[in-house]
Amino acid sequence: MSASYEQEITLEGDLHARPAGALAVAAGRFAAVIKVTAGGHTADAKSVLGVMGLGATSGQHLTVKASGPDAREAVAALIAILSEATKVGG
Amino acid sequence: MSPATVGIVLVSHSAELARGAAELAEQVSGGTVTVIAAGGTDDGDLGTSAAKVSHGLGQANQGAGVVVLPDLGSAVLVVKAVLEDHGDASSVVLADAPFVEGAVAATVTAAAGGDVKAVAAAAEEARHVRKL
Repeated sequence: MSASYEQEITLEGDLHARPAGALAVAAGRFAAVIKVTAGGHTADAKSVLGVMGLGATSGQHLTVKASGPDAREAVAALIAILSEATKVGG
Repeated sequence: MSPATVGIVLVSHSAELARGAAELAEQVSGGTVTVIAAGGTDDGDLGTSAAKVSHGLGQANQGAGVVVLPDLGSAVLVVKAVLEDHGDASSVVLADAPFVEGAVAATVTAAAGGDVKAVAAAAEEARHVRKL
C-alpha cells in the first residue's frame, strides 16, 4: 500500500542551482517517487539537473507530489526546503 | 554518525576546469561529498596525469567507493589505465557522462547517500537532460 501526497508552494525566489541541489539531495534520501511541477513542466525531484531545468522563478507556483511509503514526510521535507532555500536565492 | 558517501574524482585536461567543476558540484550538493579535482599534467600543463588520477582515487574513497568522470579523449584512456592497475573494480566506477552536468548530478546523488552504481547512473543520465 502506498499513499500519495501533494502540496503547492509559491516560490519566494528563483530555483537556482543551490536550492535545486538542496532539494534533490533531500529528495534522494526518500524511498518515495517524488515529482516537482512548475510552469507546466514536471521533473524528478531526485534529479538536480531536471529540477534546475524547470527554470522555476520567484512567484511561480510549484507542486511537490510524492507516492510511496514515506510520501508524506517527503512532501513536508521538500516544501520546507523550498520555503527556506528560495528565500535567500541561490 | 552518517555512513560514508561515494567520492567523486574529476579528470580534466585542464587543472582549472577540474577545480571549477569540483567547486560547482560541491556548492550545489551542500559540501558533504569529497570531490577531488585531478586536472592537468604533473607539470601543470594541459593534459592528464595518471599519478594525479591515482592519488585522487585514494583521496576520494571514504569507504563507499568512487565514481570517476573524465572530460575528453585521452583523459578517458588515462583513467582506464589507472583503473586496470587499481584492482578493486567494484568500488571504482568510470562514468560515461557530460563533464559538468555529470559532476553536479553525481555529487548530488552521492550527497543523498546513493551507492557507486546510483551515483554513476545519475552522472550518465545527465546526457539526456535538455537545457532548452
